[in-house]
Amino acid sequence: MKTKVEKALKAAVLKTFEETCYLYPVPELKDIQELLPLEAAAEVKYRGDFTGRILIETRGGLFRAIAVNMLSNQDPTGAQKMDALGEIANIICGNVIPALGGASQGYRIEAPKIIPLSEAQNNLLGEPLVWTVLNLNQGRVDLKFYVDGYYPVPEKKT
Amino acid sequence: MALNTLVVDDSSVMRSIIIKTLKLAGLSLGEVLEAGNGQEGLRLLENNWVDLALVDIHMPVMDGEEMISRLRKNKEYHDLPVIIVSSESDSARIEMLQKTGATFMHKPFTPETLREAIIEVTGVSHEDQS
Repeated sequence: MKTKVEKALKAAVLKTFEETCYLYPVPELKDIQELLPLEAAAEVKYRGDFTGRILIETRGGLFRAIAVNMLSNQDPTGAQKMDALGEIANIICGNVIPALGGASQGYRIEAPKIIPLSEAQNNLLGEPLVWTVLNLNQGRVDLKFYVDGYYPVPEKKT
Repeated sequence: MALNTLVVDDSSVMRSIIIKTLKLAGLSLGEVLEAGNGQEGLRLLENNWVDLALVDIHMPVMDGEEMISRLRKNKEYHDLPVIIVSSESDSARIEMLQKTGATFMHKPFTPETLREAIIEVTGVSHEDQS
């Protein structure tokens, strides 16, 4: 399942950023953007045969750039920036869920929710099943896909 | 024929994206009306003539499913062309919604995809736009 979800997540992130935000990947920025501080995070929960969530994190000015491009407005409000980030997470989640293998079995996606930075920074959500990063001229986005009960548990040292 | 279009989505950002994509689709657009949920959408239809509705599914107050169901029972708008624009992944639910005569368009989408969907539901052809 992990490989399938990973493939679906990468494809969904690329497609969503290209078709919804008109933002394109620049893989060469990977090293430069490695240590950028977190600026915003949002999550979308899903329920069905599997339950879990998708977490989206932006760094380096991308939080604003997403709303600017989606709205064609150079000065989006805070609420618009949060709405835009949540919508992106929602679209990506809807595109990844079929990879879980239960698309015909009644998955429900909840409304997007902004996550307090302190919670996201402290990684209180645990380890994701799959984590993908997209580097763009406008900043960096991290997508973490969680499936309840499938996150890797670190082995205890004996 | 300029299409008067109703865009119903609880996200103002998503409505903005849909309208931007509509403009890029290269079809002749008339007035574009916006509503934040199904109830607001139905209210706008009482006082405005609309040729096409683009409707999200998951919305507060009244969702897209309920709005389409009420539309189909309305004397004036029972055959209004509807495109559902959603990130819904439940194929059973999508199939059920399509039985109402609506076309389903998955987010994200390109202007070309939207154009094809509009031509499919409205019957507006390339020639009609000139």
